[in-house]
Amino acid sequence: MPAWFLRGLRRGVVTTRYPDRPDPSAADLPTPPRFRAGQLTAGVAGRLVEVCPSRALWREDDVLVFDAGACTGCGRCERAAPEAVTASGEFELAVTARDHLIKRIPLPRQPRP
Amino acid sequence: MNAVSPAQPGCSPGRARSAGIDGQGSDAAGAAEIEQAAGQLRERIDRQFRRSLHIRTLDTGSCAACEQEIRLLAAPHYDLHRLGFFFTPAPRHADLLLVTGPIVRAMDVAVRKTYEAMPGPKIVVATGACALGGVLGPDAFVHGAVDAVLPVDVWIPGCPPSPLALLHGLLVAVGRLAGKAGELAFVTEGTPR
Repeated sequence: MPAWFLRGLRRGVVTTRYPDRPDPSAADLPTPPRFRAGQLTAGVAGRLVEVCPSRALWREDDVLVFDAGACTGCGRCERAAPEAVTASGEFELAVTARDHLIKRIPLPRQPRP
Repeated sequence: MNAVSPAQPGCSPGRARSAGIDGQGSDAAGAAEIEQAAGQLRERIDRQFRRSLHIRTLDTGSCAACEQEIRLLAAPHYDLHRLGFFFTPAPRHADLLLVTGPIVRAMDVAVRKTYEAMPGPKIVVATGACALGGVLGPDAFVHGAVDAVLPVDVWIPGCPPSPLALLHGLLVAVGRLAGKAGELAFVTEGTPR
């Protein structure tokens, strides 16, 4: 007899909380990028903005703006600059205010030698 | 504060004056009381949604990837029915409108009618990068984002959002979980300041 059946009889609840445990399939999901601030120069940022197919990355002077809401998780930025960008692994990104998804990443003022 | 504001067109000056002279303190207290009662009622209604929510999906020109993921929510692996969430074909039975796609202008009437047919209080959830304005900008054919036409309560990013992300978004919408993306920085190794 399955263990959950007895547990359900005992507690009167057969369902589990969300999330009961990390879902194994979550590791394979395409996720928005995570940037390494130390590696992120103006040149790299320019390249990332150029390669982004959706409207998720743009420059505002010395700031790289990343809109996680617009990101499609395509991974082109990770391939364009593997030293500066990795997958974040975050997919539960629902928010109650659109602004919460827009991240401003300051760039170093001087390009590194 | 004491100055009586010039009477608005259509508002009788006598009424404006009486509100300015004798009713100021009690009016403010009354308004606060009404506000508090409204807040309590709203909270009670919102709590009803937590374990009983009917969802109407609205495709406004999406590529159907979002629909595919939404359909998977009812599969045994994700099983959203265990949470008390159900899909309904009728907007008149729906508490939550799950909008996908960039809101093509050809859908204007359908979007408006669907929203108006829903009984209040209603929750609108924008689903997927298109609905969040990430893929198509406003132009002659699309509005570009859901918040251009409807008041959005919850945004679920992703292209498409996985069923897990959708489930999380629905739980955020009914207040059973808090959105955590606001605290995520998407940056590591010491941001230069």
